[in-house]
Amino acid sequence: MRSIRLEPLFSMAEMELRRLRHDPFEIITRAVQPILWVAVFGSVMAKIRAFPSVGDYVSFITPGVILQSSTFISLAYGIALIFERESGILKKLLTSPIPRSYVVVGRALAGSVRASTQYVIVLASAAVLGAKIISNPLNLITGYLVLVLACMGFTGLSILIASLLRTRERFMGIIGAITMPLFFASNALYPIEVMPDVIKYVSLANPLTYTVSALRKLLVSNSYDILQETLILTCFTVLAIGAAVKNLRRIIE
Amino acid sequence: MKAIEVRDLVKVYGHEVRALDGVSLDVEGSTVHALLGPNGAGKTTLIRVITTQLKPNSGYARVFGYDVTKESSEVRSLIGYVPQEVSLWSDLSGYENMLMYSKIYGIPREIRRRRIEELLDFIGLSEASGRLVRTYSGGMIRRLEIAIALMRNPRLLILDEPTIGLDPGARSLVWDKISEFRRENGVTVFFATHYMDEADKYADYVTLLNQGRVVSHGTPNELKRHVEGNKVLITLKNNTDSSRLSEVLSSVPGVAISSFDNNCLELVISDVPTRLPAILEKIFVSGYSVSEVKIREATLDEVFIKLTGRRISDESGRMKEVVSVRKMIRRGG
Ligand SMILES: Nc1ncnc2c1ncn2[C@@H]1O[C@H](COP(=O)(O)OP(=O)(O)O)[C@@H](O)[C@H]1O
Ligand SMILES: [Mg+2]
Repeated sequence: MRSIRLEPLFSMAEMELRRLRHDPFEIITRAVQPILWVAVFGSVMAKIRAFPSVGDYVSFITPGVILQSSTFISLAYGIALIFERESGILKKLLTSPIPRSYVVVGRALAGSVRASTQYVIVLASAAVLGAKIISNPLNLITGYLVLVLACMGFTGLSILIASLLRTRERFMGIIGAITMPLFFASNALYPIEVMPDVIKYVSLANPLTYTVSALRKLLVSNSYDILQETLILTCFTVLAIGAAVKNLRRIIE
Repeated sequence: MKAIEVRDLVKVYGHEVRALDGVSLDVEGSTVHALLGPNGAGKTTLIRVITTQLKPNSGYARVFGYDVTKESSEVRSLIGYVPQEVSLWSDLSGYENMLMYSKIYGIPREIRRRRIEELLDFIGLSEASGRLVRTYSGGMIRRLEIAIALMRNPRLLILDEPTIGLDPGARSLVWDKISEFRRENGVTVFFATHYMDEADKYADYVTLLNQGRVVSHGTPNELKRHVEGNKVLITLKNNTDSSRLSEVLSSVPGVAISSFDNNCLELVISDVPTRLPAILEKIFVSGYSVSEVKIREATLDEVFIKLTGRRISDESGRMKEVVSVRKMIRRGG
């Protein structure tokens, strides 16, 4: 009984994977930028020893750079719902027997699956470029699951923004305005200690910080002390998806 | 049992757009019912209320007795719906689209594959099912969407402009498939259209909608009674003195001359089968010869114009030749 009820959720993630198989272009182009971050920015900063406290800098920024490209993909995912709103897909999904929340949770999972492809690409490239990544499969898999959880939250946030703004132009404007600041006001590129106070507070309220922190512990320091991060990310994801479910009605009015 | 019951439905978008302004209608089970009206009449809005997407401001709608706002999940389990806009993922293949929707609809795993294959075969897309939907023609897309709506064996099939933008061949293919499925399964069909010929040809009942209100409803023939008489166009062989013939014809009861220029005579006749022979007789006796007779049946478009003063669509109003007796009625020639 349970598996029957959950299948519609997973089928949306399956749909996303099938789309990726037909057209992997976005995933590959999205990976170029993070690879350059690691290769150019990472190597330069490592050479000048800008942040001596963090140890090997290339390893340090690898989790941050994974998040950079995967949050961008997650946050842009809402545009798919705006397209589907203009097409008939959303109308059809909302008249099918599945509950409305499934549409949001399923799509959040789908967006997260798409975004988390960056994990593999960036980790592999970083390893080639000399990052010292813990190779224990358990760490790698746990890291992936943490990333999926966080990306579901960011996709949920994106769906929420799409529901509220409803046009491509407004959506792209807002997403363009928030993604870079979100990235820079986090611990993705530098440790929180070196930030000015204001940015420090912003970054402590930034879910990206906790995702990067968890991945850094798992993949660089080989530590499983990620309970706090996981709890915070779970709250963020539940809140974002909950708000998106509550506001989905607006996208179809 | 009524498949759809709508009473005094009002839907206002924002604060000013009154898309539905007190609509009431009934759709009887196992019939084909058309909602006919021009663009902006409120057809899509009504369908979206019935399919539980939008909450009405007042009034109610029921599907097989279930209220669309209070019992929306029961309603959703009974309907198959094809929206006006394309509802497929264009970057997946036809088969994958069906597979995804079959999972979303919860079709049991054991019968999924067989059901998809049966339906693909039914709508004639088995061969194209591996191609991306992006490469499909408009008619193929519509047929695939209908197959997806049929996948759940709905009791009520709701189609919003099922053939919009298709060429005549593709339109009749879509309707062939709908009719065939109906013959086998007895599903109720409720469809919106702005093609009056389609409502005329395929619907048992038609509701005319204009500016959010029901203008009239009935069978196509009942509606056509609003327009008195049929138009008959008679082309005479030689240039004629119109005043003399007009005089002759005005003595025939039930006939009105609506125009007469050059040798082309347009009449409105209330009972064509019995009166037309008498008229032709009069024309011959008076010494004229006829080269062509065209009879035009009243169309739903004319009904609509008569009732509202507007046309349903620009593409309609084409001369429908029921009888074209070309060069056959010739006397003295
Ligand atoms: N989502 C919407 N928001 C605001 N106005 C709308 C919306 N959808 C339709 N309308 C307006 O409501 C009226 C009826 O539209 P619609 O139901 O789409 O008519 P039809 O399907 O008969 O062409 C039109 O004036 C249209 O502009
Ligand atoms: Mg419409």
